Order: sequence, then C-alpha cells, then structure tokens
Amino acid sequence: MVATDKQQASPLWTTTTSEVRLTGTWREAKPDYHVAPSPCHGACPVQGDIASWIQQVSRSEYYGAWLTLMENNPFPAIAGRICHHPCETACNRQQLDETVGICSLERFVGDMALTQSWALPAIKQDDDCSVAIVGGGPAGLSCAYQLRRRGFKVALYEERDQLGGLMRYGIPSYRLDRAILDAEIERIIDLGIDLHLEVELQDQAALKRLHKEYDAVYLATGASQSKNLPMLDYQQPWVLDSAAFLAAMSHGQNMLLGERILVIGGGSAAIDTARSARRLGKAVTILALEPEHLLPAQTIEVTEALEEGVEFVCGAMMQSTQVKDKGVQLHCVKVDFSAGAERGEFAIDVLTGSEFNLVADTVIPAIGQQVDMDRWAGLLAADQGLAQTDQGWQTSCRGIFAGGDMASMDRFVTHAVGMGKQAAQAISHYLRPHTEVAQVKTEKPVGFEAINSYYYPISKRQKQKQTELETRLDGFSEVQQALSDHGAMIEAGRCFSCGTCTYCDNCFYHCPDMAITKLATSEIDGSPNRAQSGPSRGIGYSIKSDYCKGCGLCVAECPTGSIIMREDSGCSTKQESCS
Amino acid sequence: MTTNNDGTLLSGNHAVAWGVKLARPDVAPLYPITPQTPILEKIIELQDKGLMTVELLTPESEHSAMAAAIAASLTGARVFSATSSQGLLLMHELLHYAAGARAPIVLFNVNRTPASPWGFWPDQLDSLAQRDTGWIQLYSETPQESLDTTIMAFAIAEAANIPVMVNHDAFYVSHAVEAVRIPDQQWVDQFLPPLQLEHKLDTQTGRSFGAPIDQAAWNRSRREMCDAMTKVESLVSQTGQRWGALCGRNYGPLEHYRTAQADVLIVTMGSMCGTVREAVDEMRQQGQSVGLIKVRLFRPLPGAALREALVGVSTVLVLDRNYSPGMGGILHQELKSALFGMEKAPQIHGLLAGVGGVNVAAEHIQRWVSQYAQAEACVDSIWVE
Amino acid sequence: MELIDYQDDGHFFSGHVACAGCVEALALRVILNTVGSDAMAVVAPSCSAVICGGYPASALKIPVFHTTLESAAASASGVKRGLVAQGKTETTVVALAGDGGTYDIGLQALSSAAERNEDILYICFDNEGYMNTGGQKSSSTPKSAVTGSTPAGKETSKKNMVEILAAHRIPYIATTSPGDLNDMAAKVEKAKAIRGTKVIIVLIPCLAGWGVVDDGAVKTARLAVDSGVFPLLEVFGGHDYVLNKTTKNQPINDYLKQQKRYRHMSVEQIASLQAEVDEQWQRIQKRVEVSSGFEA
Repeated sequence: MVATDKQQASPLWTTTTSEVRLTGTWREAKPDYHVAPSPCHGACPVQGDIASWIQQVSRSEYYGAWLTLMENNPFPAIAGRICHHPCETACNRQQLDETVGICSLERFVGDMALTQSWALPAIKQDDDCSVAIVGGGPAGLSCAYQLRRRGFKVALYEERDQLGGLMRYGIPSYRLDRAILDAEIERIIDLGIDLHLEVELQDQAALKRLHKEYDAVYLATGASQSKNLPMLDYQQPWVLDSAAFLAAMSHGQNMLLGERILVIGGGSAAIDTARSARRLGKAVTILALEPEHLLPAQTIEVTEALEEGVEFVCGAMMQSTQVKDKGVQLHCVKVDFSAGAERGEFAIDVLTGSEFNLVADTVIPAIGQQVDMDRWAGLLAADQGLAQTDQGWQTSCRGIFAGGDMASMDRFVTHAVGMGKQAAQAISHYLRPHTEVAQVKTEKPVGFEAINSYYYPISKRQKQKQTELETRLDGFSEVQQALSDHGAMIEAGRCFSCGTCTYCDNCFYHCPDMAITKLATSEIDGSPNRAQSGPSRGIGYSIKSDYCKGCGLCVAECPTGSIIMREDSGCSTKQESCS
Repeated sequence: MTTNNDGTLLSGNHAVAWGVKLARPDVAPLYPITPQTPILEKIIELQDKGLMTVELLTPESEHSAMAAAIAASLTGARVFSATSSQGLLLMHELLHYAAGARAPIVLFNVNRTPASPWGFWPDQLDSLAQRDTGWIQLYSETPQESLDTTIMAFAIAEAANIPVMVNHDAFYVSHAVEAVRIPDQQWVDQFLPPLQLEHKLDTQTGRSFGAPIDQAAWNRSRREMCDAMTKVESLVSQTGQRWGALCGRNYGPLEHYRTAQADVLIVTMGSMCGTVREAVDEMRQQGQSVGLIKVRLFRPLPGAALREALVGVSTVLVLDRNYSPGMGGILHQELKSALFGMEKAPQIHGLLAGVGGVNVAAEHIQRWVSQYAQAEACVDSIWVE
Repeated sequence: MELIDYQDDGHFFSGHVACAGCVEALALRVILNTVGSDAMAVVAPSCSAVICGGYPASALKIPVFHTTLESAAASASGVKRGLVAQGKTETTVVALAGDGGTYDIGLQALSSAAERNEDILYICFDNEGYMNTGGQKSSSTPKSAVTGSTPAGKETSKKNMVEILAAHRIPYIATTSPGDLNDMAAKVEKAKAIRGTKVIIVLIPCLAGWGVVDDGAVKTARLAVDSGVFPLLEVFGGHDYVLNKTTKNQPINDYLKQQKRYRHMSVEQIASLQAEVDEQWQRIQKRVEVSSGFEA
C-alpha cells in the first residue's frame, strides 16, 4: 500500500522561531528611556511639569492635569491669565511654527477645576511644627499652600482685609476676574490655614514674637514702597501713585482728577494703570523710556492697550513739569535707550533738540516698587535693597525665611509663587531634615534637535478670543476669553512633550527587531487621532536585551526626545557572564 | 475517438492526458511546446468537457510552470506538468529545486532534440541531461505505457517524496496512434488515493521550507535523498505489480524481452525498444540468442537488476538515442559504471544510434549485432549508421 | 499627533538577522501583522529571504516557501492554486521579492501572473539594487546612484515599475514607505481585501547599500516621499491614479544628502535629477487628473 511504501520526506522544514537567535549580542549601544526637562519646565518660575499636564489634557484627563499643575502652583486659573509665560518664550515648538499656548491651557484647566469644584486630596498627616507666614500675596499664599500640604500648621498674617496682595491690589479685574482670584485663594485657606487678616507686623519685636511662637517664619510682605522720580513733586494733588491708584480701583474707587491722564513707565503696572484709566473714560498717554519693542510689559498687554486707545510716547522721558491753567505741562525729551546686562539695568542718552511737551490733568508714575528694609535693620541683613537670603531663602536670621518681591527683583506673580514653593521646601527641610529632599535639576533641557518634528504637522496656535473692543471699555470684565474644549484639545495636541514620554508607542512600532515591550497597556486613550478599534496603547516600555541590536531607530522616531542611546556591552540577559 | 475491444485509438500524448485525468491532479501548470502541446490541449479539452477538475495555470514559460508546480505541490496538492526539450532545459534550475524540496510532482517530458541547431526530433538528451537533478526518470515505449506510467508515476512520487519525470519520444510515441485501454476511474482511485503530504505549507503548523541552511544540513538533505533513491527501484517494482494486479499490465524497472539464454543483449530505452523487439524476433527466428533489456527506470539506475540480467551474457549492445559530447552515449556510460567490478562482465558496446531522430530500422540492429557480437568492446561509444 | 494604528499580533519574530536599523525588517513587521494568520509567504532570494529564514528557525509565524530569484510571482501563483484546489480559497498568499527579483529577473513571471490576474499580494522591497549581494545596480537603481557595478554613478534612469504594472490592468498597485507605517498597513489591508493581483512597492533605503546611518532609514524614506522622488500613490485597475501625499515640499537635495551613493554628484547632476523628479511628478499629476476617482 502507498501508506506503507511512504518514505520519510526531508525534514528540512523549520522547527522553531528566530527567537532562538539572541541578536542582542550585536549591540554596542542600547536605548534608555529617560525623563528629561523640557525647555518650558526649565523656564517656568514654579518648575511646573508642563509637558506632563498638557499630555493629561490631550488625553482628556483633566482632573489629573489639574493635580499635576497644583503640585507646583495653587493658582492655575490665575497664572493662566496673568503669567508672563517664560515657558512659551522657551518653547521648542516656535522653531517649527508657533509656541504652544501654555497659559491658555493652564487657564482652561484652572477654570475647569473651579467650575467643577474639584477638591485637593486630603492632607495625609498633621505635623506638630508650625510656621507663620507674613504676607498674603502670591509668595505667602504659595508657601502656605505648600507647607499645609505637607501637614504643617500654618498661620497666615495679612495686614489688609483681603488676601491676594499684588494679584488683588495691583492687577485689574479685566485681566484677572475677582471671582477667580477669590476662589483659588479660598481653596488654599480651606486646607486649614490659621488666618489673621488686618494684622500688621509693626516692628521687629513683633517679628521676634512670631519667631519665638512658631517653628519658622516666612516673610513675604512685598515691595510696598513706590520708587520716586526725582523731577516730580509727589506732594502735588495731580500726582498719583500707581500702586495706590490700582489698589483703589480694586475697591471700585476712582481717584482720578480730570480727563487727561499721563502714566509714566513701561511695565505691566503702567499698562494696567493706563488701561484702567481708559475704562473710566479718560484720555490716557503712556510715557516710557524704552522704545516700544523693548517695553518691559508683555507684548499682548501693549497690543491690547493700543487697541483700547492708549497713546504711547516711547523712548522719551519727562524732565520737568509746569502747572498751567488748563493742566500740567510736562517738558519731555527723546532719549536713546540701551538695555543693560541685568534685568532693570539700562543706560540712556538724552537726545538734545528733541524736546517736546505733553499736557495732563493727572500724572501717575508707575516706575516700580521697592522694599522698606529699614524696618528690619539690625535683625535682617539687606542686600541691594532686598532681604538677603541664602539659596534656601533663609534670611540672616535662622528660622526666618523671606521671598517674593521682598527678596527678589523678579517681580512677576509666578516668580513669587515659585519662590513661595521653594521656601516651603526649604522650611520643610529645615524643620524635618530627613523627609524633604531638595530637588536637584542638573540635566539640560531637551532641545529641538531631539524632537522628531515629522510627527507634528504645521499647526497654528489656538488663539483665545478677546472681548469685543467696543464693549471692553464699558467696564472691567475680562478681555481674554478662555479656549473652547475643542481649542484646548488642539492646543494640547501641539505640545511636543519634550522629554516626557506620551506613550505614543512609536518606539514600539518602529523597532525592526520587536525588541520593545509594552509594560502594560491601557484601553483608555483620549487622543483625538486614536482609532476606535486600534491597538492597546502602552503605558511604559522596556527594551528586550536579548534582541535589541542598538540601531537607534526608536530614538530617532521618538517624537518627544524621551529616549537616548547609552553605550552597552551588547550582552543579552541570557549571557550575563559575557565579559 | 475510436473505441473497440482493444481499446481507444489514442496518440501517445493523448494517452498521457488521459492518464493525467485519471490521476486527478489538483494543479497543472502547463506551457506549450512542440511536440508536447497535444498533452496540454487534451487536458484543457477534458477540463472543458467537465471530465476533470484541475487548477490550470498557463504561465509565460516552463520556468514559471515548474516554479508554480513546486509551490503548489508543497501545499499538499497533486501536481502535473508537461514539457519537452527547450522547455525542460529552461526548467533545469527548478528541477533541482523540486527534488531538493522533495515535491512529488509528475512531469511528462516528450524527448526532443535540444537546440542548437533547431530540431524537433526524437532524442533523449534533453531528459538525460537532467539526470543529476534528483528526479526519478522513467522512459515509456508506447502510448499505453505512457498512460499507465503517468498514473504509476504519481504513486511512486508520492510514496518516495521525489518528483518523477516520465519520458516518451517525440512523434515516434507522442504522435503515434494506437489502441489504448483507458482504465476505469474506480481502479485508479483505488490505486492512487488522495495525496497526504507529511511536510507541507500549512497555516496550522507554520513550518517553512527553503530557508538558507548550513553546510551540514545541506549535506544531510543530500544523504536523505540518497536514502530515498535507494528505495526507488523496489518501489517502482511494487508499484508496477500493484498496477498489474489491477489492470493486467505489469511494469518493472526493467523489461526483459526474450532474454532467456541470450548470448547477446540489446539495452535501450523508449521507442527504440519497439524496433529492437522486431530485430530480436527476426534474429531469434534465425537462431541467434539475442534479447532486449528495456530500461524503464533510468534514474535511479537499477544497477543490481541490470547486473543480474546480464549474468552469463557475453555481449551487450547499448543503443543510445542521445549523445553527450566528449563522452558518448549516456546509457552506455551508465551501464559501464553499473557493471563495475562484475565478475565475467559482458563486453559492452555503446552505439550512438538514432541521435537526432534519424531512423533506426530492425535491419540496422541486426547488422550491428552481427558486427559487434564477436568484437572486443571499446570504452568509447561508436557512431553507427 | 497621528498614532500608529496597526495591530502587532506577533507575526514577525525577534532574532532575525536583518542589519541593525534595517527598515525592510520594519516593513515586514507591518505587512505580516496586517496580513494576519491565514496567509502564506513566498520569498525570492533577497534580503527578505535572509531575514525570514535561517534554518531551522523562521522569523515568520506563517509558513514560508523560499523560491528561486525569478519565480516569486509564479511560485505564489502555485501556492494559491494549490490552496484553492484544496478548498482553502481565503488564505492570503504574499510574495516577497526585492527589486532584482521584480524589476529584473522576476519581471517575466510577475508580468505573467499579473496578466492572469492571479490572486496574490506581491510585495516588492525596492532597495534600488542588488544589496544582498553587496550592492550592484538593478534596473531599479536611479540615475547617478553609485553601486558596485556603476562606480561612476548609473547613467540611465530607474525603471518605472508602476506604469509597467498599470499596463497590466491589475486591480491594485501601490507604493508605500517605511516612513509612514500607517500608510503601509492601510495599503496592505486594502490589498488583502481585493481579489486578483495586487502589487505593493515598498521603498527600502538600504543602510549599507545607500550609505545611510543606522537610525536614518525611516527619515530617508520620508524624504524620498516628501521630495517626490518616491511618490506615495495607488493605481486602481491600471488606470485610476490616486496620489496619497499631494505635496512635494522638499528639494531632492535634502534626500540625496542622507546617502553616500549620491555624494559625488555635481550641482548640474542634482539639477538634472531634480528635473527628472519634477517631470515624473507632473506626469503623475496628469494621470491623477484624468482618473475617474474610482476606488476599489
């Protein structure tokens, strides 16, 4: 029979898979997943994990995004409105098209938290240590928040009747809605802060009492004194201090005299003053030393001020004043302005023959604030008009820390928030040296060259809508409107996520050797391009040493610069004895 | 088609086509070439008439035909193809491939002179030149034998996992018409059950064939072919006997014709055997003790059977309808080596007879017998007229 | 960001012996996982044959039949017919061949299979030369490229295989690139659903043969597409052309700079090659314009 006649056919048929061959031995370098700082993170005054929370937004994990934001900044809704956003200035995306609208996204998340009344996680343990914080502005509140989160008892002393400091008394409500401000402050106080409003720390004795009563003290009383122009007589009724003006405005008080207002200065305070005055129906002129493109205020502020009819006289200075029948005449001259190496440093040359006159009913200088360090003379050392502190924000007096405008020339709200956070870390370390580890940031931020921009088609930045120009001047409602949900999703999708893995699986799919393992997978994926029936996305990866040949394609195809090649002997796990 | 009690009048090529029909191949890649084309046309005709069902491929060349044949075979399909001369030579690369893949394909080759110069005449050089490719080679003398051998070839190929090439001569067999008994399909189905290939392309096992291998594995593949080849002679015998038991026509690796007490034996293959029979009959009548050994199985050459057949024979005349330049007749050479070391080996004369299809008549053969029976054999083949 | 969305079900195994960074292996991964488990592969001698094989191991989950260099299309036809004869009509038969096995020695068999409209999916890994034998020119080698057999740069142009295939009126022809794995997966998926002869030509920048850095083949493949050197297109029924990426926004120089085989080129030669690419682009645009918009 055929069956019995049948001879064994050649067995030259494969019997196994190529996995028996350990191609990992070919390798000279091996990819390594790492989290590297993004340029935005490096530039952020609060060291926010920007790439992380934007990715959470892009996955629609809004609460998670908010918690990530809240790690470093208790004021996302505020910062999303008024931060001077050095993050955006540093953003790698501008080398492709335009920077990512980080602030608009932060505001989107911050507002959502308020709308949905999201709560912070409960404080895990209470600590016996107590800290007194003096000053309820952004630095003090930030420090209070961070210390309270760590379980410390926190007492907050504020000399005014409301918290917020500059955020309330310096920034007009058309930039920062008061309901937002109140809500974000309230959320901090609700953590269990021992609040003492309208308590002024009158003298050194009072500070010493606090120092004795509490385990540590944080001073963040701001820079409350206005700098004065020598050529201006501040006793004149037509001279108005901008800080006082803005503070009064925040209470709804109109201190202006006459119809023609002249604001001196080119920073945010000057613009805020001018735009507030415009909203009261006044004709407003700004006189600034700097040429328009070098004005210290944010470009958007200048643009909006121009839109609102504020006139700018830039690159000029006032030399003298003369009161006339129909107002004050200011004798001005054009100057040649050159910026110095340090912020706030500059040089000017008066351009003789360029003299001109301006006329105003009220003159409001807004050229900056300074700290009254004389109050603490003998107790706290001063340095160039600021409280002298070490790297951990501790003053010359052990146990007393200082921050905010009082200790720094970085006069931005978010800088103050960041300083408050850093001081909280330092105080925590001071009080509990074994638990708080100071953050060390040594790695260089991920550069544009590490980003595979192929994965990012040109996409214009999502613009926030603005209130119609016609209605803006009718009151003090916010000019900048929040992004729509859709807009936020698109904007979040523009983020390169520099140095932070987005679990896009590109490394997994671009490995010709199947040498990357998804450590775990998630079916949840909110990204807009995610196909309904697509594969499960990884939530972490590892390299199979047995098979990785070290080609580097995963690195090249990583859209976020989250993988680097490191030299490697090329030994596979099964040949660990290889030497 | 004329049918009487003796069978159906069929040409050799049409007899092959009927054999193919009865063997129920799954796939048949076919490319036309003179004088094979009637096989192709008849198969297509049988298919068109609904008498058979086969996946017919008509590719652009014999090369592709054989490439498709091998691949189809490795899926477990029964595969048939046919060709001739240039076509077979074009397949050469793949003949090696088929054998190495142990694909049980049946290829029918109509022996024709290979070019150049161009010719369309019976000559076995085309297939004999493929003797080292690893195929089993069978040579048929008549249309009936071609039909029977086609069917048996499947049984042999599938039992040995070695492809089989069946050959018959151009025109003398391919176009010669004779009464052929077409066996019942039932008999054939009993004789040749559906193919069950042990190693095949199968999505269930995922095993692969043909991947680059190392020297040792290649060496082993040849040793395995060697082992398989050693069993072919008896397999051909058994298969021929089984076939004989079913339909009364027995076939073996060799056919002995009037060899009893023969002093002179003529050894040859294919259509020449018919002429030799005629000559043998004449000479026997004249009292000469002459017989014929017809070699049906050329590869593997049935050496033991040949030695046995030639015991006591004084003279052997090998008639080669082929010529290997620089060497001579191929069967002559093969036979000499088959008898190596044989005690009292006969004198072997190699006669290059009918090369290029020239006519070889019975009287020629008689003349050669008388001419060479007493002569001392020389090692080289001799051109004869 | 567009995510890669094909499902890797482990149809291509680690441990294959492709060069580190080889995108032919990467393409195989996409193709095999898209083709799925009810499939068989026929592989002609090429880098793919080396990658797939290595007795007694196979890098493919599906069965592979390694055939001769000129026979990919014929052998694939044979496999398909063998399966059909045994009732396995749904099994996808994939032929994998290089450009040598497609543009040169295998063209005859491919043309015939296409003419017969055999139900096979034919993949040509086009690395523009005989790279597995150390880098000699094939008829797919572009003008000016240096190979082992064109040391001064090839004088004649690359054969236009898409148009040759289109002339066969087969149901589906596509080009794809390892620079866009989703495009590749989508085209394989589409081809798989079509009965008849489907041919997909995959551009494979060869690290050694083209002189591309180990991690640069994906980028090079993208630049080939973006510069219009290798347009991503589909041809339905031999007459309806669809250009998948309709912009050609990179000068070819950016593409050439990735590769050592073009390093010798003069400004004039680059301009000449650019003109050829522009002309090809125009021709495709015309084909697209006269297409009826039919899609299978």
